[in-house]
Amino acid sequence: MNNSANIKNDWGTSYGQLVWQQFTKNLANMICMWFLIVLFCIAVLAPFIANDKPFAISVDGKIQFPVFKTLTANDYSVFLAAIIAFTLVMLVRRNSRKIDPFLRAGVLSKQIFICGTILIVGIAALQVFIPRKLDATDYRAMLASGKATNAIFPVVPYGYARTDIKLTQLPPSKEHWLGTDDVGSDVLCRLIHGTRVSLSVGFVAVGISSVIGIIFGAVMGYFGGKIDFLGMRLLEIMMCVPTFFLIITIVAFFPRSLINIMIIIGLTSWTGDARFVRAEFFKLRNQDFVQAAISLGLPLRSILFRHMLPNGIAPVLVNMTFGIAGAIFIESALSFLGFGVAPPTPSWGQMLSTGVSTSGQFLWWLTLFPGLAIFFTVTAYNLLGEGLRDAIDPKLRKAV
Amino acid sequence: MTNNNVILSVQNLSTWFETELGTAKSVQNVSYDIEKGKTLALVGESGCGKSVSALSIMRLIPTPPGRIVSGKIIFNGENILDYTEKQMRKIRGNKIGMIFQEPMTSLNPVYTIGQQIIETITLHQNKTEEQAWAIAEEMLEKVHIPDPARRMNEYPHLLSGGMRQRVMIAMAISCKPSLLIADEPTTALDVTIQAQILDLLDELGHSENMSILLITHDLGVVAQRSDDVVVMYASRIAEKCSCKELFNNPLHPYTQGLLKSLPQLGTNQKRLNTIAGNVPEPMNFPTGCKFHPRCPIGCNDKRCQSEEPELKEVSKGHFAACWYAPGYEKVKSDK
Repeated sequence: MNNSANIKNDWGTSYGQLVWQQFTKNLANMICMWFLIVLFCIAVLAPFIANDKPFAISVDGKIQFPVFKTLTANDYSVFLAAIIAFTLVMLVRRNSRKIDPFLRAGVLSKQIFICGTILIVGIAALQVFIPRKLDATDYRAMLASGKATNAIFPVVPYGYARTDIKLTQLPPSKEHWLGTDDVGSDVLCRLIHGTRVSLSVGFVAVGISSVIGIIFGAVMGYFGGKIDFLGMRLLEIMMCVPTFFLIITIVAFFPRSLINIMIIIGLTSWTGDARFVRAEFFKLRNQDFVQAAISLGLPLRSILFRHMLPNGIAPVLVNMTFGIAGAIFIESALSFLGFGVAPPTPSWGQMLSTGVSTSGQFLWWLTLFPGLAIFFTVTAYNLLGEGLRDAIDPKLRKAV
Repeated sequence: MTNNNVILSVQNLSTWFETELGTAKSVQNVSYDIEKGKTLALVGESGCGKSVSALSIMRLIPTPPGRIVSGKIIFNGENILDYTEKQMRKIRGNKIGMIFQEPMTSLNPVYTIGQQIIETITLHQNKTEEQAWAIAEEMLEKVHIPDPARRMNEYPHLLSGGMRQRVMIAMAISCKPSLLIADEPTTALDVTIQAQILDLLDELGHSENMSILLITHDLGVVAQRSDDVVVMYASRIAEKCSCKELFNNPLHPYTQGLLKSLPQLGTNQKRLNTIAGNVPEPMNFPTGCKFHPRCPIGCNDKRCQSEEPELKEVSKGHFAACWYAPGYEKVKSDK
């Protein structure tokens, strides 16, 4: 294209790269990040880690692969989302090394658009075309009776929906590492499958709330005056309503599904983002480069989201990580109170409640392990948010 | 105004700001013309309304407090005050470019120089990104930035103030506007860079046949590079004439005071002259001639204290607003 392509990697350090360098310097940040990455891997690969169907088994001399046969449309959707997320991360890394900074933003937005389309179309197609198969075969019984041989089971060889009256409320043992609950399901297995609910609730709810919050706050902050006045009053009304009780009320009206919970948390928790963006835009509104952008005749969309937003996104990013933690918390609380996802789909909050509500007995393993899972995940997100805030704040930046 | 050579004609422009303390009449009844390829300098102290008049031309006055009360701004034969915001966007950056005072903060810190320049070009002209990239490089070369290909990929924080102002100029002229508004382009720069930037503007004005509205408080800047000068004081025009005439034959006491307070080489002056007092606040302007409290003639004169003089053409091409300007009384008030 031009001779600038010959000068390799002489593009200066972008703001994002500076923040990233600062972020990775802190050990706590890295621990939290890797913890969450591992958690994500567990969530994505849950059916391969905890499943009562073996990877491979030979029945009557023929080798079968039951795990792969029984994957549902939801499982495939999760895999697709994970693959696309991974591809995007890799693409961003590659872009920052190989592609001219001036093309980067455009290329990235195209890539995000393509990936998003593939994701939505893919999930829709998967939901339509993959039939629901219920494989009720008890492979362990087959193994015990000698019908089948040479089975390779996952690490936790139990299904999350298993019920067994003979095995209820067992404390942790060699067979059941974290014990069993009051219907005889393995706690570890349910914990692993519950990761999906908690993580996806955090992401989707915060995605919804930050999109609403950013648009709302940007418009209020940029225009000011009457629009700001009306917007702020609406926002204050939203803030006055105790969100949690509002959510409980709304959830009670709608069928118990994960999607509903995500949407409701998203629709009620955008006020913080909106206020941050509004404050930032007030500050940026009178900056010279915004004036310059207006005087160059750029359209409003470009001024708001291309020129102002990247300069004011930092507090929103931090707020988003806290928001994810908050959403996980709200979901756990809802499930604990019985308004969450419908059983047998496991969720950490729901598991907590089974530990408390049994007749008189306190089953510590039913409370401790899901409690710890919630605690560590929420803490990791909060620490990540703190680390991000410190990395973004130039006053706290150590010499790079 | 039937003169075809006039690119921009500001006629009786008044811009007021409604604040809680009252109405600030920042610009009142200001008229001036800029001819094609000429440079007009707008001179005045801080707060005299020169920047507000420039922002009015771009229609960049923040509208809840500010308001263009009356007047016309005729650009290329059309009154741009009647334009919709959409039409205005097509003019901004395309037909009228603007350079700001603070080069350090006028560039967006999150994008590279190249990205910022090509956005304007792709927006206003039908060019692909690659073509725009080539044009942007050419523009950077035109504003004398060494090694433009490399600079295109750099972020603004890597450039010095003078370099950034050059980039701003490159951005403003990238669509070859017919009018460039330079709002104190050199105030934030040190003296050697000031001269370079002004020379550059001068050169571009000639090579691109671009009219320039140069807003400054520095009469030294005016002396070398402008064709016409408008001196503003407290929201009104005090004097308007060609640059030569202003330095040879200043008529308004304010202009005379300004010229006297310039340091001059080759004289054994001990102390610089000053104009006593301060610029009045736009909320409470004095009655009569706004300059009278600071004027050597006006401070004791009844008429100056009670009646405000209009701007009149006292000799050919030389306008002044002072009761005591030579020849002022003889001119009929219909101008």
